[in-house]
Amino acid sequence: MATNFFFWLLLVVAIAGLAGLLLVRDASRRTPWLAAFLVSFGVLAVWQSAVMFKDTTASQVLFSLFGAAVCFGALGVVLSQNVVRMAFWLIVSLGSTSGLFFLLNADFVGAVQLLVYVGGTLVLLIFGVMLTASGPYVTMKTSPTEWVAAAVVSSLLLGLILVSAFGVDWQAVDYAEAGNTTTQDASAGSSVQEGTTLRPLGWALLGLRPDKDLQKPGEPSGVGYLLPFEIVSVHLLVVLIGAAYLARAKRRVDQTPGTTAL
Amino acid sequence: MEPDQLKNWLSLLLTIAWLLPLGGFALEIFAGFWSTRLKKTAAYIAVGCIGAGFVCSLTALCSWGMHTGYWAEHDYLTKFFQETPLGGDHAPADGHAADGHHGSEHDAHHDEHSAHGAEHGAHGHEHDESKYPTVFAGRYYQLAEFGSLQLEIGYYIDSLTLVMFTMVTLIATCIHVFAIGYMSDELTEDYVDHFVHVGEGHLHRPGRFYRFFAFLSLFSFSMLGLVIAGNVFMVFIFWELVGICSYLLIGFYTERKSASTAANKAFIVNRVGDFGFLIGLMILWTSFGTFAFSEPSAEKAAENPGLFQMLRDDHGQMTVEIADDGSHQVVLTGPEGTHKTIPYYLLVAAGIGIFCGCVGKSAQFPLQTWLPDAMEGPTPVSALVHSATMVAAGVYLVGRFYPMFTPEVLVTIAYIGAITLFMAATIAVVATDIKRVLAYSTISQLGYMMLSLGVGGWVAGLLHLITHAFFKSLMFLCSGSVIHGCHHEQEMPKMGGLRKKMPITAYTMLIGVIAITGLAIPGTYFGFQFAMSGYHSKDAIVATSLAYWGLNDQHVLLFILPLAGAGITAFYMFRLWFYTFAGEPRDQHIHDHAHESPAVMWVPLVILSFFAIFCAYDGEQGPLWGLLVHSEPAGMDHGFDPAAPGQIAVPGHHHVHEKMSGDATVHDVAGRYALAVAIAGAILAYLFYGARLLNPADVRRQVAGLHEFLVEKWRFDELYDAMFVKPVHVISGWIAALDRVVIDGFLHGTSKAAVDVSTWDRRFDEQVIDGLVNWVGDRTFRVGRSLRFVQTGRLRQYVMFIAGGLFGVLMLVYILTL
Amino acid sequence: MPELNFCILIGAVLFVSGVVCMATKRNAIGVLMGVELVLNAANLNFVAFARYTALGLDGQILSLFVIVLAAAEAAVALAIALNFYNNHLTIDVDRADDLHG
Repeated sequence: MATNFFFWLLLVVAIAGLAGLLLVRDASRRTPWLAAFLVSFGVLAVWQSAVMFKDTTASQVLFSLFGAAVCFGALGVVLSQNVVRMAFWLIVSLGSTSGLFFLLNADFVGAVQLLVYVGGTLVLLIFGVMLTASGPYVTMKTSPTEWVAAAVVSSLLLGLILVSAFGVDWQAVDYAEAGNTTTQDASAGSSVQEGTTLRPLGWALLGLRPDKDLQKPGEPSGVGYLLPFEIVSVHLLVVLIGAAYLARAKRRVDQTPGTTAL
Repeated sequence: MEPDQLKNWLSLLLTIAWLLPLGGFALEIFAGFWSTRLKKTAAYIAVGCIGAGFVCSLTALCSWGMHTGYWAEHDYLTKFFQETPLGGDHAPADGHAADGHHGSEHDAHHDEHSAHGAEHGAHGHEHDESKYPTVFAGRYYQLAEFGSLQLEIGYYIDSLTLVMFTMVTLIATCIHVFAIGYMSDELTEDYVDHFVHVGEGHLHRPGRFYRFFAFLSLFSFSMLGLVIAGNVFMVFIFWELVGICSYLLIGFYTERKSASTAANKAFIVNRVGDFGFLIGLMILWTSFGTFAFSEPSAEKAAENPGLFQMLRDDHGQMTVEIADDGSHQVVLTGPEGTHKTIPYYLLVAAGIGIFCGCVGKSAQFPLQTWLPDAMEGPTPVSALVHSATMVAAGVYLVGRFYPMFTPEVLVTIAYIGAITLFMAATIAVVATDIKRVLAYSTISQLGYMMLSLGVGGWVAGLLHLITHAFFKSLMFLCSGSVIHGCHHEQEMPKMGGLRKKMPITAYTMLIGVIAITGLAIPGTYFGFQFAMSGYHSKDAIVATSLAYWGLNDQHVLLFILPLAGAGITAFYMFRLWFYTFAGEPRDQHIHDHAHESPAVMWVPLVILSFFAIFCAYDGEQGPLWGLLVHSEPAGMDHGFDPAAPGQIAVPGHHHVHEKMSGDATVHDVAGRYALAVAIAGAILAYLFYGARLLNPADVRRQVAGLHEFLVEKWRFDELYDAMFVKPVHVISGWIAALDRVVIDGFLHGTSKAAVDVSTWDRRFDEQVIDGLVNWVGDRTFRVGRSLRFVQTGRLRQYVMFIAGGLFGVLMLVYILTL
Repeated sequence: MPELNFCILIGAVLFVSGVVCMATKRNAIGVLMGVELVLNAANLNFVAFARYTALGLDGQILSLFVIVLAAAEAAVALAIALNFYNNHLTIDVDRADDLHG
């Protein structure tokens, strides 16, 4: 990061503004200080970011942005007390995930994520929230002990996963430079309108894999997903019928809480 | 008929007579099941069997007499019609009478055979000794063989056997018939026994008529088996059988304590005697090696001699030599003429041993206590068993076994007989129960028989046996008739004047009384002789004892005691008769109800009285004497000179008939004394009880001590009680205590130990083992229950566990793969 | 590749948040949201590996399937939660402890 005169100037102004913000008792006179802090800090942040990240590409920035959004959204889900707010943060997280998908060249999956997950499943969840809202909206808090236990376990788990995952040599290749894996279709150029993964996905779901060279030794002979596709579709049908049956309108038991009746 | 044929014929007849009552017993004992208790079927079977037995015995006797020419020689029938005024004194030499003798005893068959007799009489005397032996002996069945000793069932038939068979079957038949009437009140389903008190009243039980006759048949079988026995062992078997039958019959009224005790006493006292018998048997076995009496055929005798042949030679002499160490040894002739010697004392011991059995069986001193108590049985039992047959078995055995007795043994027998006869006679004087008097009389007369046999009067003793059988059974049956008529009253003080009410009984009883006392009109002084059977036999006994005294100076008692006994016998017998039948009735109630017995009861009385008068007709010249003399042991006619070591002389027949004082023989002198004493006794009894001139109560008061002693039966029962019964009770008390304390204590201790061990074991099992198992189960349960709380049902906790578990597993894998 | 590690990191964070959400939320719908987060983490991993390794198209296909199944599962879970709410008038998972030991 560049540490010249302007840097120090902006830094002083930011700190002054922060001090003034904190020290001034009178709420109505805080505005100039707040403005000074914000402006200086903003300029500072942008300038230093630009300096630090001058080599970063747009995709990298977007990558980090979307990644941060996902994480913060997930954190927001965890930390909110209100279930509706949890739903909101979930939407943020899932939407950012969809962005990540797009960045990872999985355009169709990202679209489907937005359509199904965010647009379907989450709406369903919100409907569920609506239908299970009882009279006075009681917030159900978890005790601090449980927070601590959960935090401990989760951090341990996170550490373990990361350690184990980072310790593996995935033999990762950036196919974006070597060539888009999704476009084995040599004939077609990568055209946005066509959607680079859609056609291969469709072929694969029908049981054909034009993106694979089956003559190459070591390649498995035809990994078509026709059968799983059919099974999943039937499964979906059955599940939805079942869910519809399970959730049919029943005589609601009377309003005394705690009574169990079937 | 050849000797063998005659032997087979006689043995066949006697075996039939012997075994028929056994078959009868087998039928009668079950008669209660086939026919009712109310029918006399059993009695008819019994009478039939024994009557048939009598017929067989009689036929055997006649066959024997006919074929051996005995009747021909003796020609009694001719003599009967040519009666010589004076009976004549003939010394029968060698057991064969020179002149013909007759007897009207066997009237019926004499008529049959009289022609035969007359025929043969013309031919004179044909002594066909070599053709027909005196004895027929043989074997039926061998029971066992132990080396040289053979135990067998065999027979020994001589004239004594035939006479005994006839006598026993005849008396038994009469008594069986009598018993039909006497026991008739058992012909009911509900017999009331007035001597047994149960609760408030008397015992009621079903009648036992058939059982009585079953036992009588069994007894007849046993007695006849004893008579026919050919060896001492068989005698012993039937000895015991007779004892059992006596036990069963005495204890016939089983519910009466007195009866069952008396039966026990009889059997046990007999057993005491049998102990000596067994010792004698054992000595015989070890010394002689055989039990058989004698083997009549000469060839077989060389191989297997009998007892008599081993000990005595053909003249009846015994060989005694003195061994090197000064002891007397008897020489025995073994098989094939071998000789062996046994000590003299051993032979004496054997004789005494065998005689002990006779002491028990014939109720001699000191084992006489059982016979008076045996009167608890019904009167027919007393008549048959305890007067005529079983008690006579002892005398019979002494007579049969005579050659085996040394003179020392004989003198012992004589003294015991003398003591017994005197003692029993004195007790009979004071007895008041009619049957007790007769019982003591029986003991006394048995003493006479033993005495006679002891002093060498073999024929006299056995003659007395036969005559006593007849008149004693007659008197017992008369007393039974009296008891039956007076409704089971047995005490004489309650009777009196019964001869008007029961004439037949009274006069037959009188006949018996005269027979036993020996009153007679002797032919010596008057033109004719009238004497009943008892006179002849008692006469002969007293004469023999006088002769014995003559030969052995120191044994004067053996003459005095029988003489005194004769007097006392006369006294108490007439006392009995006068007490019962004469005078005024002492109990009016009984007198009013007394009645004569039915015909089934008095006909046997008449028959027996006939024999009581005539069975020993003509005494020493009579047929009965002749029959008995035929079987006399060899040498008895001459007697025995004093021999080492006892130096005792035994008189023979001629000693009895030699002149003693003036023209009178020993026999005459003795006869005079005996008759005088008997008449004195009879007159005394008449004075006391008949004419009531003397008061017995006064005498009783004067000799109160003696009287009490006699009433207490010489205190024998008390003596035996103190000597034997009480110590046995004491010892058995000790042993019972031992059993109770030590043995039972040990058993209880072991059982308690077992219980304790098992209790401890159970506690161990429950607490330790079950505790262990339960503890394990309990722990598991508790662990499970505590683990239950893990499953809270809370979703979030489960998720936490999942996450934690996942972390743990991955950590593990991570560490392991490091 | 740092991109791959980055995606893995994000995916791990998502996963752990989802687990924490499932472990701590008392509202049943909140638990379901945690489930969605977990499934998303898996999807992200799939797609990242599809892009950066030889997994290729298969990863994307699989993530499609995951999305479909997640939707189905969400529907059913919601139906169950609804039933639970109708019977107990509360959506608190802590009240659903009838299967406790």
